[in-house]
Amino acid sequence: MNVAVGDQIPDWVMESVSAARMRTMAAILRDPNPVHWDARVVERIGFGRHTINQGPLGLSYMINMLHAWTGPRSIRRIFMRFPLVVLDGDRITARGRVTAIREDNGERLADCDIWLHRDGSEPPLAGSATVVVPD
Amino acid sequence: MPAAPTPDAIAALVGHEFPGGEYTIAHWENFLLTECTGAEPLPDGLAHPVALFHVPILGAKTSIKEMFELGQAESDFSIGIESYDWEIYRPLEEEVAYRITGRVTAADRRSQDGRTFDRIQFRFDLAQPDGAPAARATITWHYGRGQRPNARTGDAS
Repeated sequence: MNVAVGDQIPDWVMESVSAARMRTMAAILRDPNPVHWDARVVERIGFGRHTINQGPLGLSYMINMLHAWTGPRSIRRIFMRFPLVVLDGDRITARGRVTAIREDNGERLADCDIWLHRDGSEPPLAGSATVVVPD
Repeated sequence: MPAAPTPDAIAALVGHEFPGGEYTIAHWENFLLTECTGAEPLPDGLAHPVALFHVPILGAKTSIKEMFELGQAESDFSIGIESYDWEIYRPLEEEVAYRITGRVTAADRRSQDGRTFDRIQFRFDLAQPDGAPAARATITWHYGRGQRPNARTGDAS
């Protein structure tokens, strides 16, 4: 696989963030925070009648992008910050760009900036990742 | 609203260890988790890496609720995420009994952009059944003090 600094990682799109998936996720995480499953609570704290996507779910869209690009065993590290919330109904695109290529223990690694894009907004999530680049 | 803990009480959290234990990602759990992400199931029994949020917490025998309480969170809405840092030494797999330890690695009071919060960092290490390192997950949360929740970041999971 040919990869160079500056390359764009192919986008991965979540057409509409799903409140139902947030509820399933809350059960799996044993997460009691109602902002993920009770829109009335979220409305009271000023986000409108929505539910707030779990941070790891937003991060997972970038994982899916990386898996589609370099394979399901490729991720070595992800560092993520969460400046803005993602709400149900949002259209989110996971994006990334290669910032460095290096060798480590016989593996060719790509360091990448990764983020979520939402039209009309700053990136709600942004961070970095390191993946193994397949031959 | 309960009184905020003292800065010394927050700093004293450093070194706190959770009981630790084992966690096995069941196939059904991985299937549902992966479906939540919008992806198809991964091949060969691989677990979706998003499991690196809840598996360390539950495997260390703690919970999101207990982590909120440990830092004396004022409410569910008073906690914001600073960062998650996941290091993966071997891809996670279903039906493997990971050995998990967890502890508080940093805790201090800070003021920034006109708000006061306690920054608490948790580190969890996952090992294969033979003891080989599998992954490390570092969670850093901000516990807001005496103000409305951060209207931009909202939640902590």
